[in-house]
Amino acid sequence: MNQLDKELLRIKNKVEEMWDLVDFQLQSGRDALVNPNEDLTRKIIKSGKKVNAYDIKIDRMCENIFALFNPVAVDLRWVLSILKINSNLERIGDSGESIAHMLKEASLPIEPTLLQESRVLEMYDATTAMLQNVRQAFLEENTDLARQVIKQDKILNKIHAKTDKMLMNYFQSHPDNIAQSLKVSGIIKKLERIGDHTTNIAEEIVFYVDAKVVKHKQKKKKKDKGEE
Amino acid sequence: MSFGSNPSSNKSKRLSQSIAFFIFRLLSFAVVAILIVILGFILVRGISVISWDFLTEAPREGMTEGGIFPAIVGTLCLVAGSMLFAFPIGILSGIYINEYAKDSWFKRFVKLMTNNLAGIPSIVFGLFGMALFVHQFGFGDSILAGSLTLGLLALPVVIRTTEESLKAIDNSFRIGSLALGATKWQTTSRVVLPMAFPNIITGLILSIGRVSGETAPILFTVAAYFLPKLPTSIFDQVMALPYHLYVISTSGTNIEASRAMAYGTAFVLIVIVLVANLLANWLRRYFGNKVKMH
Amino acid sequence: MNSIETKDVHLYYGDFHALKGITMAMKKNQVTAFIGPSGCGKSTYLRCFNRMNDLIDGVRIEGDILIDGTDIYKSDIQVDDLRKHVGMVFQKPNPFPKSIFENVAYGLRVNGTKDKKFIEERVERSLKQAALWDEVKDKLKKSAFELSGGQQQRLCIARALAIEPSVLLMDEPTSALDPLSTAKTEELIHQLKENYTIVIVTHNMQQAGRVSDYTAFFYLGELVEYAKTKTLFTNPKDQRTQNYITGRFG
Repeated sequence: MNQLDKELLRIKNKVEEMWDLVDFQLQSGRDALVNPNEDLTRKIIKSGKKVNAYDIKIDRMCENIFALFNPVAVDLRWVLSILKINSNLERIGDSGESIAHMLKEASLPIEPTLLQESRVLEMYDATTAMLQNVRQAFLEENTDLARQVIKQDKILNKIHAKTDKMLMNYFQSHPDNIAQSLKVSGIIKKLERIGDHTTNIAEEIVFYVDAKVVKHKQKKKKKDKGEE
Repeated sequence: MSFGSNPSSNKSKRLSQSIAFFIFRLLSFAVVAILIVILGFILVRGISVISWDFLTEAPREGMTEGGIFPAIVGTLCLVAGSMLFAFPIGILSGIYINEYAKDSWFKRFVKLMTNNLAGIPSIVFGLFGMALFVHQFGFGDSILAGSLTLGLLALPVVIRTTEESLKAIDNSFRIGSLALGATKWQTTSRVVLPMAFPNIITGLILSIGRVSGETAPILFTVAAYFLPKLPTSIFDQVMALPYHLYVISTSGTNIEASRAMAYGTAFVLIVIVLVANLLANWLRRYFGNKVKMH
Repeated sequence: MNSIETKDVHLYYGDFHALKGITMAMKKNQVTAFIGPSGCGKSTYLRCFNRMNDLIDGVRIEGDILIDGTDIYKSDIQVDDLRKHVGMVFQKPNPFPKSIFENVAYGLRVNGTKDKKFIEERVERSLKQAALWDEVKDKLKKSAFELSGGQQQRLCIARALAIEPSVLLMDEPTSALDPLSTAKTEELIHQLKENYTIVIVTHNMQQAGRVSDYTAFFYLGELVEYAKTKTLFTNPKDQRTQNYITGRFG
């Protein structure tokens, strides 16, 4: 193993540690939503700071790789995608932290009908699965799995698209619980963003493994279809 | 733009090149031809007298009969004596000049003097040898005086050969050795000299060839006109091949009668020089391989 | 801990002022790289550490150079002892016209080692350290000239390691090698720093980035900037360093 490989491995390990934190934030958010737990929310918020530290550290490590090793070909694509994976992970962490703040301010527990109709837990499960799949795709350099993750995002978008309508209905039937429903709406929005960031990570994996650009492709396809 | 767009200029260019090459080749052949003619001429004229007796007997009948054995022995003695004197001094000076002396006026002076020494006509060496060794030191006409004189003649060649052979060794080898904590002498003796050895030995043997053919330096210091007995000490006079050749072709008792003897003597002399040169060639290859392998 | 320390070192070639007051310290078991344009004094400075400049007529050195705490220009220092302590590898591989074995054994022999077994063991160990053993173990008696350029350079490294120096100086060790041999040599440098303090002069800035922990930038006989390699290559303090490493010089 040459020196560059060693340095790249060090970065990979750092990214995994960061990933653990982000995973923790996401999953604990769901736990705290179902079983209110102030300690847990505080912990989530605290790990946000750690995630930011990892973000800076990984950026710096990539900068050194560029400056000292002049990576080319797959190494170059790898470091480029790590930079983006890093910033996407950091934003997922941010979203997780925001959700924790919302939970702190909300009056818990969430009213069962709201929990049921908003499909927020379903969304949670989908994002968690996506994030885990994309991590596996990253570790195994598995582009098929990464491409599946990109497709999985559609479920999130579907649920998210229906949120406004659902809330309107809910307001009408529960005019006394507007505060809670606004929080849930906020959480859903954050989860939808997390799904987008996860998709971006999946696209970066395809980029560095296959040297193919898949981002922005779907919209184009839709447009083409529309024109037909 | 295409090739050969200006055929006339190309033609004259090629023609002049062909002519030049033709002339060079012709001249090279001419040199070889001259050498072959000389060797052939002497061989044809001299081969008839070459016999075992010619090589092992002393001259008789006013040097018109018999052989040249004393002259062969004398020449070998003189060559050996002169090399005994010139090799150690010359090699050590060469090493000193190239390896040890700093670039000072003294080094430049020594080099200048060596070069001047090489340019002095050999008859002047003969005269000097007579004055110093024969008379001043009282060696008389002797192998010792003759060897020293011939040695002086060979000295600049030996010094120059050694110096040039050492100079040809890339400095990186010396620096590599010194950087490993070797002293200057260890570097010279273990790395530089073994590498320079094949070239030095070649130069030395070529100088033997030179010395064995010299007449002028031995004229006044050792050579005997006619001395059929062999030397018993270094203070004896001897005959020598080049001088013997001179004597029987110019001032012998019967020049016409000894003509064939003269060519035979010349032939033996040339063979000695050729053998020395071939030996030099062979030794260089032999040691050259050895140095590479070990 | 510092292995090499210099204080206000000035060097003159006759009237030419080649090094202008260099003060710096090189850490033990680290790789320090010297970079800078040709004629900036980096090689000259390197050759001060094993007194190779002594071989050049008309060189004058002022200031203090301490290696592992000893002033190497003190009058009672034996140069050959110093050079056992401070090994050197050169730009062009320069094995001796001897066998592979004898090349490595040379440094031991000139330093008076006679014990055959000891020499054999040390030769093997040095060749292993230089990552050459597997390639030459069956032909130790063969001429060193039969090796490829990259192997010859690793042989020269093994030769330097055999006398167990504490400091290894490398003067553009890969400039005569092909990319693959260069990569191998660089890998070797990474491994060697566990046991040796390494100072390397290089024309190749990427190489300095790849192999060194600290980098010093020299310009016109001055030490312009000396910092951790990461820092120097990502955020140089001096504009001249910035210009040089970005290729915008002059």
